[in-house]
Amino acid sequence: MPTDNSFAIIDQAAWEDLVARYDGRMWAVARAFGLSAADAADAVQGAWLRLVENADAIRDPERIGAWLVTTTRHEAVRLGRSARGEIVSDLDVPDTALPDPTAAVVDADFGRQVWRRLDLLGEPCRSLIRLYVLHPEARYAQIAVRLDLPVGSIGPTRARCMARLRALVEEEAR
Amino acid sequence: MREEYLLAALRMGAGTDPVPAGVSADARSAFGLLLPGGVPAGPVDVAVPPGARSADGTAHGTADGTADAGVRRFSAGGLVIDVETSVSGGRMEVAGQVSPAPGPDARVEVRTPHVGKVRVPSGDGHFAVAGLPPGWVSVVCHRPGHPPVFTRWFHVRP
Repeated sequence: MPTDNSFAIIDQAAWEDLVARYDGRMWAVARAFGLSAADAADAVQGAWLRLVENADAIRDPERIGAWLVTTTRHEAVRLGRSARGEIVSDLDVPDTALPDPTAAVVDADFGRQVWRRLDLLGEPCRSLIRLYVLHPEARYAQIAVRLDLPVGSIGPTRARCMARLRALVEEEAR
Repeated sequence: MREEYLLAALRMGAGTDPVPAGVSADARSAFGLLLPGGVPAGPVDVAVPPGARSADGTAHGTADGTADAGVRRFSAGGLVIDVETSVSGGRMEVAGQVSPAPGPDARVEVRTPHVGKVRVPSGDGHFAVAGLPPGWVSVVCHRPGHPPVFTRWFHVRP
């Protein structure tokens, strides 16, 4: 049964405030996994449904935002795998006690800072990441054509460019 | 810092792919699905015996409780809920069994985010609902004098 400090006593206004604060972040995370719009919508909805079913178990409302983003990532991974025809276990349910604190970086203001960092990278990193971010459903073959690069190089180049960008961002944060 | 979070932040910063209004509306309406005091039934990693859907029983579970034929088993509050799903013509059928049989006054509710259908289970606890949209689904067993027992939400791909 819910207790007085249970999240289950949340009212509709508080719920809608959560939606207003976090649904854009959750959508961005789902799309960052390259999900189609339909699958991304399912991933976001799945995260809200996890909150519905875990409402009685959540004791720290301050961490709900990070929990929602973390859970969206989890559901996006699962839906991405099922979209590829993989068997996904129902047993792999996200732990309500373990929101990822790094989820806080999913924020529009921070994103604009990262775009400025991206401009410091040379080519092909700048164009590759730009394409990858703005067209999450694009295949490597399509990106290869746009950038005139061998298709086999896209994956390794993307990983290297993302590592450089992440290093720049983390360096600035220190 | 996870790469996906960095990409998500970049996407938000670009502002080119805002969350669709329908996604936000679904998030708001999820509030109506809360079952305060309800008992969540988690998935069980045992083989599901045949017969969840019908007496002749042709479906078999796998070791992780997720069957290739769409059978899932959930358990809580002294109840076991076996659920089998299928999709045909774009509509989802959900059938299953509550064990032990919950009694003549019990009700089984099959919920999707937008549609819920209530059935009186048969004497041995079987139930079936057709005509639902594929996607997220949960089954709730309502028994007089007991808190509702609901399965974790699970996703059925069209």
